[in-house]
This record gives sequence, structure tokens and C-alpha cells, in this order.
Amino acid sequence: MALEFKINGKSEAIEVDPETPLLWVLRDHLGYTGTKFGCGIGQCGACTVHLDGQATRSCQISAADAAGQPIRTIEGLSPDSSHPLQKAWIEMNVPQCGYCQAGMIMAAAAMLETVHNPTDEDIDGLIDNICRCGTYTRIRAAIHKAAAEARKA
Amino acid sequence: MTKPVMLDRRSFLVTTGTVAGGFALSLTPALAQQRAGAIAELNPWVVITPDNVVTIRVATPEIGNGAMTQAALAIAEELECDWSTIRTEQASTTRDYLSYGGYSPIHPAAAFFGGRSTMGQRTKAMQQVGASARERLKAAAALRWNVAASDIVAEKSTLTHSASGRKLTYGDVAADAGKIKLAAEPAIRTPDQWKRLGKTSPSKLTIPQIVNGSGIYGVDVRVPDMVYAALRQSPVHGGKLKRYDESKIKGMPGVLAVVTVDPDEPRGVAMMSNAPYGYAMTQPRAAVAVIAEHYWQAHKALEALPIEWDDGPGAAWPTTQKIQDAAIAALDSDDNARSEMIVGDVSGIATAKKRVEQTYLTPYCDQAPLEPLNGTALVTRDRVELWHGPQNTQQAFWVASDESGMVPERVFVHQTLVGGGFGRRLESDDVRMVVAVAKRFPGRPVHVIWSREEMMRQGKYRPVVAAKLTASLDEKTGLPTAFVAKQASRGHYPRFADTAYFMGPIPNVRIDARELPFHVEPGPYRGPGYNSYAFMQETFIDECAQAAGVDPLDYRLRLFRDFPNPGWVKSLEDVAKQANWGKKLPKGRAQGLAISAWGLNGQKTLGTVVAVIAEVSVTKAGELTVHKLDASFDCGRVMNRDEVANLIQGGLIFGLNMALNEEITVADSRIVEGNFDTYPMLRLRDAPEIAVHFGGLSGLDRYSEIGEPPVGTAGPAVGNAIFRATGKRLRRQPFLKQDLSWV
Ligand code: FES
Ligand code: FES
Repeated sequence: MALEFKINGKSEAIEVDPETPLLWVLRDHLGYTGTKFGCGIGQCGACTVHLDGQATRSCQISAADAAGQPIRTIEGLSPDSSHPLQKAWIEMNVPQCGYCQAGMIMAAAAMLETVHNPTDEDIDGLIDNICRCGTYTRIRAAIHKAAAEARKA
Repeated sequence: MTKPVMLDRRSFLVTTGTVAGGFALSLTPALAQQRAGAIAELNPWVVITPDNVVTIRVATPEIGNGAMTQAALAIAEELECDWSTIRTEQASTTRDYLSYGGYSPIHPAAAFFGGRSTMGQRTKAMQQVGASARERLKAAAALRWNVAASDIVAEKSTLTHSASGRKLTYGDVAADAGKIKLAAEPAIRTPDQWKRLGKTSPSKLTIPQIVNGSGIYGVDVRVPDMVYAALRQSPVHGGKLKRYDESKIKGMPGVLAVVTVDPDEPRGVAMMSNAPYGYAMTQPRAAVAVIAEHYWQAHKALEALPIEWDDGPGAAWPTTQKIQDAAIAALDSDDNARSEMIVGDVSGIATAKKRVEQTYLTPYCDQAPLEPLNGTALVTRDRVELWHGPQNTQQAFWVASDESGMVPERVFVHQTLVGGGFGRRLESDDVRMVVAVAKRFPGRPVHVIWSREEMMRQGKYRPVVAAKLTASLDEKTGLPTAFVAKQASRGHYPRFADTAYFMGPIPNVRIDARELPFHVEPGPYRGPGYNSYAFMQETFIDECAQAAGVDPLDYRLRLFRDFPNPGWVKSLEDVAKQANWGKKLPKGRAQGLAISAWGLNGQKTLGTVVAVIAEVSVTKAGELTVHKLDASFDCGRVMNRDEVANLIQGGLIFGLNMALNEEITVADSRIVEGNFDTYPMLRLRDAPEIAVHFGGLSGLDRYSEIGEPPVGTAGPAVGNAIFRATGKRLRRQPFLKQDLSWV
């Protein structure tokens, strides 16, 4: 079945089983491999994208449901890695293996859209992704730093 | 010809040439020069092109510990290039093989394609490459200006003639530098002369591609004509495939083939292998794979495919209970015990007036790196290509050769980024499985992906370990006079012996181990063996201190007072000061202490010791909060301060999750847990405040491991704190499956 996806401001129509999770549409059919597969059951958040502005675990939504809605992936977060979160992540040497980090950044970016000055409690409540390498200390610090930068801008 | 550089016991020639219109420099094993048929081409370690870009070939895979960045830093230390001009690439194992170890200056197989980046010889080799390149660039500029090379300063990729102020970039003279012959290779800087190593901590070079999604992990590999495979292995480890009914998935969209993997078929190449970890731990399990045009199609078809298995000998071990009972029961007999360590004489323990004796147990745990196992292989009649993210590229290379039957010179491994390893990607049993599937579908690249459930249930786990520890205590001091450990597990990772306690502080020691025949397969899990023994050891020492009526900190300080490596006492004193040990806390809230070390290898002044103080609170109903972890450590010296802090923070979280949450269980001889809903992970909201302190460093001349040591220490520190908060002694992991309530 032909479905149309609006990804990072671009429309792409493909033939795909409408029950295929958006995660695999992105990664395997369309080549947006920045969105990661970690668990496939909505637990880890490595697959987080923005669906109509909301942080969404793309393994939990079908191609049919995602089609037509605006989707943003890590590749579309900024044209040149200039998003305050991306800058803070580099500056503060946040990642270890890095596999969780695209999902972390997308979850944090969605939060910062509405919560401009997040408290630790906001972060705890809104970001539920897994980092197996245990970089939480730095993730938290980098979110605070990016939020402060964004408020200055 | 200049004298070869000596690295470890092998000597290397510095060879130069032109690559991409610029300058290339290699270390070529002297041995290779003498052998007929050695490749004439360069194996560049560093290439400088006319556009001033410095490309560094790094053998060590980047698994998240900054190995690649560290290699670049060691070259930049000498090369004096502008940090922003550096690009890194992964060195080729095929070329390493063909050049008799051109990228492996320590050991032809293992050393450079895995492991620690700060090892002395490794840093020296990289420094030599940087220094030798720098002197050639200077000589080329000197020739052009007709001045002495000694009057030229190399800095920030620029060569400056001090007297005249003339300047050239590295790129300007790169082509000339390739033709320079030096009378002698320059000496490298000694640690007291370092400007970058030990002093700077650049953000990892991989991070820019991680934060914009462009970094390619194994699971992101896309090559032309690629197909996908979904995998199912015998649900009981060691079982056999009986039959499957392909007709049930005939006509499902995208499905191309169903293939099988037979552990018993003959495989291998008739030649000496240099696989660093051998092949014994890579034997495949019986498996069925569905190959399709897209992953989701393969996954759906596999789910619909009826498969019957013969459970095999694993049927004898149906449940966790049976496995754990057998492990504990084995401690009562010495019949099949193998001696691990004997120091002095422990016979007095039986009649000692003051004795402590306890039994401890740790469960199966899965490494669970966030990137599920996967890999892509193309097998054709005359070559094998593998795109993969192993922890050791050399191991992957040899396993790919062995499984495909292809001679190593026709095997090409393309190392990707690695989404976590923790031991699971070390032995390359996953590589064997990928190639085993791909060779049944030759001619097209096959991208095999384990689902999370498949990966977790087909693990190589931290093994179940049971141990009974006994100590006699001195009647006056309360310190242990003798210590006996009896241990039982399946797996080759008991490291009970590797601690300072047995190198003097406790004068009489006996340790033995029993091997058990469980079907559930063990494997290296971050800090193998150590991750269990550190928990048992440090809980037990706490129990001894309690029996002696001595403060846990004082007890350990007294034990290590005369130990030749001052790092033990320094780490204890530093962490106690930083965490304000002994501060007054309300009921239900307490601190706990532990200290343990990794990588001693029986030597008093090797390895890394970590001391941790945990602060926890437990409600009367038994709800635990870990508030803070303070850590002080001694790895000798520190090469990259911020990366060390990052790895200790992460290692503590890893060890904390292991102690609190992780347990793989068995029912019907099958692994029960399959995903993070039943195998929980700490999240941001659960992560305690972590403070890493540098006051424990001894300054002794070594840069020891950082990844493993904190994993062992976090758990017992928390367990000991729980005891002080509640009066409940935890002798098993995971803690959160136990009742922590108190009155
Ligand atoms: S892959 Fe979607 S939440 Fe883990
Ligand atoms: S950095 Fe490895 S999982 Fe987060």
C-alpha cells in the first residue's frame, strides 16, 4: 500500500505494509538510520522522534497512523548540529557508545519546546529513556546547559 | 637505513610514502621486510594531505570509551597538528594480516584491535608515529628554505622559521615530507614533557556524528542489494533443530528464503589462527533464519514459522531454583574442587574462637548493550565482506574466516561504531552466526538482526556464582587471620584471587572453585568474575568488621596500612573525607563502604582500585533510594581526566543496576526475561548523584583500566549501606527482589 510520509519537511511516498512500525519505515525503507532500534516494545526510547511536535517512540506507532503527519527525526533537528542540545552534548562529552543519544536528544528537544527552564523533577518525569552506558549525570547537566543557552538566544 | 624503533619486543621500521598526493607514514614490522611476499604498499598510520587534513588510522574500535580519540591525542602530542584537522579511520585487519602485524606493534593478533587505549606500549607507538612525521615535515620545510631543521618550530599544523618568520602549513610540504630520509628517528616525549596527554580532555571525536544521527553503527549499515534476516535459535541453549514448516509462510510478502545453522557441520580453514580469544566460545547454536527484502517482513514471517526443537541436555536444568540449589549444594563437597590459591596455612580456621561464615549468590545477568546484536555479511566464491561492530576487530576477522572457510587475505571487515559491548561483543559468536546465515544466501549482503528478545534469551551471561566464605578473626584486633573461599559456577571467570587482601593483609588464604554442568552459557560480562566476587568479598569484610566491632572504614584502613600500593589507603581516606564518612543521619538513612580492584593480575602495584561510599535510605515498607555515590580511585596516573570521570560515572551506574535490578531466570529450561519490561534498567529519575574524586591517585607509573573497576564496587557499597540503614544483610543479588522492610 502506498503511504506518504512527511519527514523533516520533505514528503516521501513508498509502498509499505501499513502495520510496519514507523521505526522500520524510517530506518529500513527510507534510510533515516539516526533513529535507533533498541527494544521494539516502547521501553528504551532509542527510537524517539517528534510526531506532530510530540516526542513519540516510533517502534510503537504504525506506518498507517504516522502517514501524513509531520515527523521530525534526529537528522532534521537542525541543519548543522546547532541545536543547543547538540552543542551541549559535544561540549560536555556526554555520550559513551552514543547509541541512546539520538533518542535522548529528541526527547529532551520536545521537552524544551514547552518547558523552557526544566527542573530536575521535570527532567525525571519527562525523559524516561534508557542509557545502558550510564551517562545520566552528564545528560542531566547538558539539558540544563542547553536550556540556559536556549533562553539566552 | 635508520635503526628500527623498538616497541615491546618487536622492532619496526618507520616507512614513508605518498598517499592521496600527500604524506603517509607507517610502522612496518622489521620481520615483514625480510619475508618474501610481504606487501610492498604502505600501511599508513597517519596521512597528511595537501588540504592540511591529518587522517589517523586507529586499530582499536570505538566502543564508547574514547579509544579512538585517545589514539589521536597521542599522535597529536608529538605531531603538533591543529586538533580540528584530525580525521580518524579504522585500520584494516586484512592489511594487518598481510603485513605481518603492521597495525599491531605489541602482539601480531590481539593487542591493537581491542582493549585499552592507554596501555604504555600503545601510547608510545602512537607518539612515535607523530614525532617521526613531525620531524619529516620540519626537514621538508628546512630543505625548501635552505635553513636548519632545528630552527623550525612546528605548531598548530604550521611550520615557522623563527629567524625570518616564514611560514608553511603541513599540507604545503606534505608531498615533500614523504621523500625525506632522517638519520635517526626522533625520541618521543617523556610524560613530564607532555603537553596534551594527561593535561587535556577533548570531547570524543565521534560525538559530532552521534548527535546528528549520521554515525554508522552495525545496525545502520546499508549496502547495495542488501537483504534482511530475522533469527531464532534453540530456546534451550544446546538444543537441536527438529523441523520447521516453510509452507506456512509461503507467499508472505518479501520473503526470500529460510536457512538453518547447524552447530555440528564441519567448518574452518586449514591454517593457524591468530584469533585473540580462540574459537571455543564462538560455537553457534542451532538456528533458523528467515531472509526477506525488509526487516519487518523477515520478523513477521519468522513469527509465523512453526519450528520444533529438541531441548537436548538442557532439559536437566528446568528452573533457576534447581540451578541455584545445585550451585549452593556443590559448596559442601571438595571432591571436584580445583585449587585457585593457597597462601600460608588455613588449618587453624576450624578451631578458631572467632569465626565468620556466610554463603553468597549472584544470578545470571545479561550485558544488554542498547544496540541489539546484528551484522551484515556478503559471502561470495572468492571473498567475504563483513560490516560489523565487534569489541575486537581481529577476533571478528578470524571468526569470519573460520565460519566461511575463506582464507584470511580474502576476508574484509569493516568496523562500525559499537552500540555498547560490555563483553557481549568480545568473542564474536555473533559474527559466526551472521556469516553462518549469509553463507547460506551467497551473493547478496545479508543483514541479520537479533530482536531484543532473541538477544536477551540467547545470551552469554554473567554466570550464577555461589560461594561460601569463612574467616577466623584475631581475638585482639578483630582482623582476619585466615580466609577460605569455596566457590561454584559454570564459567571460566572466577577472579576471587585478584585482590590486595590476599597479598599480605590476610596472611593465610585458601580459595578453590567447582565447575558446574549447567546448559545456560556464561560469557564475559563487564568485569568478568570480579563483578560477583567484589560483591561477596566486600559484603563479607563488612560482616567481619561488624563481628569485630570495628568501624568498616577503620577495619579496611588497618588491613591495608602496610600494603605496598598506597592507592588503597589513599582511596579510602579520600572517599571518606569527600563523603564525610560517619556523618549523622536519621534512622533509615545510612552510608556504606566498599573497596575493590580490577586488573591486578597478582601484582601488588598493578590494576585499578576503586573505593565507593553509598548513601541510601530505606522506608519502613522497604522502599530503597540511593541518594549518592562518592568514588575515589587509583589507576596510577590519569591520561584523560574527563573521560576517566565519564567512565567511572557510567561504570557505577552499570554496577548499581546489576546489583539492584538484574536477574535472568530460567523456566522450562528456557530463559524467561526477554526485554526491558522484565529486565529493568535505571532511568534518569533513579540515577543517584555521583561524585568522582581524584585524591586517591598514587601517581605510580601506570595508566590502568577504568571501565571495569567501578562495576564491582557500587553494589557492595549500597548493600553495606542498606545493612546499616535497616539491619538487613544482603547476601544475594539483585537487591530489589528482596524484602528490605524493617521495624
Ligand atoms: S525501540 Fe522503541 S522504545 Fe525501544
Ligand atoms: S551512551 Fe551507550 S547507551 Fe547511552
